[in-house]
Amino acid sequence: MSRHAKRNVGTIIRVVILVIFFLMVVLPIYWIVATSFKTSDEILDLQNITYYPHLFTWQNYADLFSQYDYGVLFKNSLLVSVTSALVVTFLSILGGYSLARYKFKGKTAIILFFLVTQMIPGILVIIPLYIIFSRMGLINTHAGLFIYYVAVNLPFCAITMRSFFERIPVTLEESARVDGCTKLQSLFKIVLPIMFPGIVSVFVFGFIGAWNELIAGTIFISTPDMWTIPVGLKTLIGKYNVEWGLLMAGGVMALLPTAVMFAVMQKYIVAGMTAGAVKE
Amino acid sequence: MNMKLKKKMEPWLFLLPVLVVLLLLFGYPLINSLIMAFQNYKLTAPNDITFNGLENFAKLFDDQDMGMIIRNTVIYVVVSVLGQFLLGLTLAMALNKPFRGRSLYQSVVFLPWAFSGFVIGLIYRWSFNGEYGIVNNLLMNLGIIDDKIAWLGTPGFSLAVVIIAMIWMGIPFFAIMILAALQSIPEDVYEAAEMDGCGVVRRFFSITLPYIKPTLISTVLLRTIWIFNSFDLVVVITDGGPANSSQTLPAYMYSSAFSSYDFGFAAAIGVVLMVVLGLYALIFLKITKYDKAGDF
Repeated sequence: MSRHAKRNVGTIIRVVILVIFFLMVVLPIYWIVATSFKTSDEILDLQNITYYPHLFTWQNYADLFSQYDYGVLFKNSLLVSVTSALVVTFLSILGGYSLARYKFKGKTAIILFFLVTQMIPGILVIIPLYIIFSRMGLINTHAGLFIYYVAVNLPFCAITMRSFFERIPVTLEESARVDGCTKLQSLFKIVLPIMFPGIVSVFVFGFIGAWNELIAGTIFISTPDMWTIPVGLKTLIGKYNVEWGLLMAGGVMALLPTAVMFAVMQKYIVAGMTAGAVKE
Repeated sequence: MNMKLKKKMEPWLFLLPVLVVLLLLFGYPLINSLIMAFQNYKLTAPNDITFNGLENFAKLFDDQDMGMIIRNTVIYVVVSVLGQFLLGLTLAMALNKPFRGRSLYQSVVFLPWAFSGFVIGLIYRWSFNGEYGIVNNLLMNLGIIDDKIAWLGTPGFSLAVVIIAMIWMGIPFFAIMILAALQSIPEDVYEAAEMDGCGVVRRFFSITLPYIKPTLISTVLLRTIWIFNSFDLVVVITDGGPANSSQTLPAYMYSSAFSSYDFGFAAAIGVVLMVVLGLYALIFLKITKYDKAGDF
């Protein structure tokens, strides 16, 4: 086979692979969206499964909004996710900088400790925290959830931030220091602006981690006015086990914000991860 | 404070807030849970909490379904990690060369990474529904099956559905990590290899793999730990059924904690999980010699 023909075969294989992955991701998403716009008669028609809503309806969304104050759920989710992600990002910058730029005794131990935190099953932390939080009056508060989300998302974000720092040449800071900047000044004025994609990525990691969290939410929060989106959505399962249209509408409303955010930020995330292009 | 000491303290000052948060919110609760694992700690009987030695652990290994649950857990973790890894690698390789619309394509194909496990569980539970599910419908229309399959009601199939959902959910994470590693390989290395007449397969095994090995190792390790500890998909899709045939250890721990409120027993399962994961990480890092690279 000539070199040219080989290239063509390679391209065809690549296109086929890309199309398969595209369908693999899009079809399940299509199905939840399509179901959410069907009437329950159409959903539960045993004889005939329709591939798109024949009787297009907003009814499931209307029901969702009349039974749940989605606005409140959205506001609650946004509040705990944004605040915890901001704090996680800030702490990750400090911690990641230290782990990337200093050599010191105990560094390996700390990285191992981060790894160990990932091995702890969530329940082992949530149960004792429930007891501690109830003594401190933090049950059914967003402060309690915020504290928990900061802690669970911190180890991965700090380690990721460290690898972003490691991709930035040290020489850059050193020359700033020669010009009379202090360490903190050179960090905030020189390094962080270059790392913008990395910082955005870490924020998105923290945000999505908090936004999608269900278990701690169900355990720490007890009243509907404090629910986050996944917690509210979960009560739909218990109450309406067969109301698939309503459930799917709830699912779409839960996915929509992170999907939009991710689609917009995706290029920063991939750029942040691949910032290896900045070589020393 | 003298300069030398100040210099020594610097990295710790930067790390201090992180360490305080993690020690308070992981360390302290974990010690509590360790103690609970050796106690008769039921939320339904808060005034009757006593140490009971190894009773919780004995109960765990007396459970007649335990053999099956452990087997399910191993299958679930191994197949999910392998599936995500191979498919994530394939996707990353296909994305490595630029093409028009790549960024837009990535925005779509990486989406599952941003989705909640809970909603993904709902999508799969609905799609694989035995009566109204789209999967049965498609398979029948394609002539692959003649009768509807009760996916979630059949031992074996129900665990398979959970694994498929888990693989779907985790491909983007692998793909992003591997893609990042692939893009850090200098282009000239490939060019030189091509000049020397190296084939595609040879280039993959002698250039690509060695270059991305550190990323592969840390991603596989992290992902294995996360999958091992995750139970939302099991709980949402099958709730362990039918008859525990898709039950995994962490899902079992969750249901013992919150349906029977037996915190002592749940804590004991958690301790076993942690020990197993710790051993796994130790062996994994030794075998891959990653510990010597000084990165973990």
